Amino acid sequence: MARTFYPLERFAPAPKAFHLLPFRFTRLSGKELLVNEAGEFLFVPTGTVQSLTDEYLDTDSELYRDLKAKHFLYDASSSPLLDVLATKVRTKFDHITGGTKLHIFVVTLRCEHSCDYCQVSRQTATRGQFDMSTATADRAIAMMMDSPARAVTLEFQGGEPLLAFDVIQYIIPKAKKLALEKGKDLDIVVCTNLACVTDDILHYFRDEGVKVSTSLDGPAFLHNKNRPRPGNDSYEKAIEGIERSRAILGVESVAALMTTTAASLDHAVEIVDEYVRRDFHSIFLRPISPYGFAIKTRHRTGYEMGRFLEFYRQGLAHILKVNRNGYRIAEVYTQILLTKILTPHGTRYVDMQSPAGEAWSVLVYNYDGDVYASDESRMLAEMNDRTFRLGNVHKDTRRTLFTGDPALQMFQASCNQSLAGCSDCAFQSYCAADPVYHYATQGDMYGNRPTSGFCTRNMDVIKQLFSIIEENDRETMRILWSWVTGEPTIREVVECV
Amino acid sequence: MRLTTTGVARNFDTSIIGTITTADLPHDERTKRIRFIAPGDVLTDDAMAGYSALLCHDELARDPGVPYVHRLRESDHLRDGDIVVLEGRAALVRSLYRPYELHHHLFVTERCNSNCLMCSQPPKDRDDVEALTERNLELIRLIEPHPPYLTITGGEPTLLGDHLFRLISQLKMSMPETELHMLTNGRTFAWPEYARRFAELEHPKISLGIPLYADYAGAHDHVVQAKGAFDQTVTGFHQAARNGIRLEVRVVLHKLTIPRLAKLVDCIYRNLTFVEHIALMGLEYTGYTPRNIGELWIDPYDYQDVLEEAVEYLVVRNMTVSIYNHQLCVLKPSLWRYARKSISDWKTLYLPECETCSALPACGGLFQWAAKKHSEHIHTITYKKTI
Amino acid sequence: MDQPHDAAESGVQQVMVEINLAVISTEALLKTCHWFSRDFVCEIRNRSDQIADVVLTPRGSASASDLSLARGAFTTSAMDFALREKIEAKTSGIRDILLAKAFSESGVLEDAPEGVFGDMVEETKPDGMFKILSNPQR
Repeated sequence: MARTFYPLERFAPAPKAFHLLPFRFTRLSGKELLVNEAGEFLFVPTGTVQSLTDEYLDTDSELYRDLKAKHFLYDASSSPLLDVLATKVRTKFDHITGGTKLHIFVVTLRCEHSCDYCQVSRQTATRGQFDMSTATADRAIAMMMDSPARAVTLEFQGGEPLLAFDVIQYIIPKAKKLALEKGKDLDIVVCTNLACVTDDILHYFRDEGVKVSTSLDGPAFLHNKNRPRPGNDSYEKAIEGIERSRAILGVESVAALMTTTAASLDHAVEIVDEYVRRDFHSIFLRPISPYGFAIKTRHRTGYEMGRFLEFYRQGLAHILKVNRNGYRIAEVYTQILLTKILTPHGTRYVDMQSPAGEAWSVLVYNYDGDVYASDESRMLAEMNDRTFRLGNVHKDTRRTLFTGDPALQMFQASCNQSLAGCSDCAFQSYCAADPVYHYATQGDMYGNRPTSGFCTRNMDVIKQLFSIIEENDRETMRILWSWVTGEPTIREVVECV
Repeated sequence: MRLTTTGVARNFDTSIIGTITTADLPHDERTKRIRFIAPGDVLTDDAMAGYSALLCHDELARDPGVPYVHRLRESDHLRDGDIVVLEGRAALVRSLYRPYELHHHLFVTERCNSNCLMCSQPPKDRDDVEALTERNLELIRLIEPHPPYLTITGGEPTLLGDHLFRLISQLKMSMPETELHMLTNGRTFAWPEYARRFAELEHPKISLGIPLYADYAGAHDHVVQAKGAFDQTVTGFHQAARNGIRLEVRVVLHKLTIPRLAKLVDCIYRNLTFVEHIALMGLEYTGYTPRNIGELWIDPYDYQDVLEEAVEYLVVRNMTVSIYNHQLCVLKPSLWRYARKSISDWKTLYLPECETCSALPACGGLFQWAAKKHSEHIHTITYKKTI
Repeated sequence: MDQPHDAAESGVQQVMVEINLAVISTEALLKTCHWFSRDFVCEIRNRSDQIADVVLTPRGSASASDLSLARGAFTTSAMDFALREKIEAKTSGIRDILLAKAFSESGVLEDAPEGVFGDMVEETKPDGMFKILSNPQR
């Protein structure tokens, strides 16, 4: 029996009515930016939101079809595919699955630098006084491996962790043994200024598969200004350390992070150029965290968020220019936000998550066994504020850490979905919550959005990025996507005639 | 290359499937073999005994008392090793499998619950599943040597229900290293029970190729001529992915899919991020297509910008893309690296322009039926020599 | 609608925005004031049941054009918060369902597939696959 063919109208009748699906919006670049519950966005002409709310839109238009395809509305002619949308919402939170993945071990507070913004270091302490004991290390390792995560990262911090190299050497084999027993993957990173690194230490790291993360704030004058040390040669030491580490560990095993201080803010271009000169392919334009000594010495390290945002803007523009000229270098803050904006995924970066990464994604085990929700939480404790001290490895289990009052109080302020100002913000899916930051800067975990530095910074950066996205310059988008995927940009094939 | 021929059948009215041999075989190797007798050859009674059937181009002088088909209309397409099925009642000789080909298909039914405007295998509402399944099970057991790839196709294979699971299980047993690719509209996978049972087959090397033609239901349903198809297909993708089934999206490029192609690839990226591969395919002038050509035809040369944009969109997002059924001379050079030689050997046609074309070795050519309809812009490419 | 405030009269830099409470709820108005509180002191004076006047006094210095821009921005922002309320009212139910689906166990809160199977042969069978799939016996 022959079958009949039917025209489009039979399958796509212009519906008489439609219903809204949940979404948030803002005004940007002369248009309206709509963001659906899964973080997918659409630029629409001004007035569209009003039309949607009045349910008065031409259902036979391209705009209508676009809104339907991107889950802003649905009608009787087809399914809203809520389960598909729900899966996408869930995917945005895939960072929560599996429990805490990043475990920071503060093996010592001793350090021979005296950086203005540093939150914790003890320059003149004797060995042992502020070092992690083996008993504490054992308990912390057990606590780390108790996490349900299939893969965990052990990050050594301090002070300067290499000053307690013996503690590191104690911890690594124990951690590896326990990881093997529990069937977990274990990554190990050491955060060090490399000033006192030796070839022996590097050989040990190479043999154990340990990665190094160090600091490079920019060219010599800036780096040394930020990081005073006897001899005033922090920069030279850092470069020497980087080169030696690369030679022994391999280039991929050595990463550099910068810290932004007031002094940095006028030198975006020079800082980027320094990273390029040193063959780095990744740079993180991050703001200084307002904790610890930073608050005490605010008159030297304090700065307005506006200056940072200009610094970021200049830095990003220069980095894009460097990329266009053929040198591949990604900016990490941009990469994190673009991952949230452009891809179906959330981020693994603990400082830009909602629910906030504190405890859910990161735990800090201090030299004395105290467990903190984040590095910043520990820094607050250095100023005698133990609000975010979750417990102690000698007294608590994972369960009591997560169900104790400090944790529970913090969790209540950890979801930006339910924070005033965030709950109807268009950028909610891309932004985050940070109860520790708000507590430290504004006196309460929930924070006050209009005056929050966290909000100002993220909102402005996200707006900058949406401007770039909306412009849709082909080459710029290729570069940005290569940062997001980690793959090289595609090149044109030479034309044949 | 032909698939079917006819002749006069004797001594059987069922279907007999077997592998062709053009040479004499020892008696103990003759079961499941079909002895082909070439034009002009004459065989003794002993030489003809013991085979499943005989195929003779000429008239067999004497009835040897075994099933045979003689007086074949054509026979030059038959080769040693081909697997054929002889249909006694219809006196047909169908070639099911040719070892020397690059692309192999297992055809499982003519039934389909969609009715795509450009379907290359127009469906029939006749329940052929039982018969075809029995035939295919035998075919699978006969296939030698095992091919690296095999495509399961129809119609709509999932309409076989349990029979499909039997076929896949047989494939798993008989040729476990063969990579299977099943072309399906994906709609049945919307039922979680079905997706789960399919996954439970635990075939180690199977993926589904599922078409998607628009980013919203109305347009897709129109192309496939089935209301509700888009919703079921997208849900099917998700249920399959959840059960760990590997997936590919296919898009046929024509006048109804090109206008929103940019939005379709965005839809694929956002909703089907988990697919392994996206195949962008040229229109085949066969099946239903000639009837609907007015709605469908757009010269591939004219959509190159749209195609390039869509490919780039997916590639920067790290998705794997291939372009099928396009000639290199109509494709933008930036897209050549994505073009595959996808046309089955026996379907390939090359035009006069092709004979002196520098890109001929890399090009897939055209389909046989493209003689009737192809791009206005087929032309010879000459590489400039650098000195 | 908006009445320009004569700064010279009171000697203090201020701008007034007239708000129609039939269009903009108190909640929306308060949210707007909350956001503007960083740069302005916001004072709400109810003129009647229908109308409120919001007096914005800048915290720092502001020019006449700054104030004019602020009035426009305040009105737009208040309208936007009113729109958000409407959207929330229309979508909070389905949002709850969506989030419940997103965070429930796989398969627990899923809808059954919609639509017809579309194969004539299958649909005529009393024990056809489509019927079995729609009514799984386990």
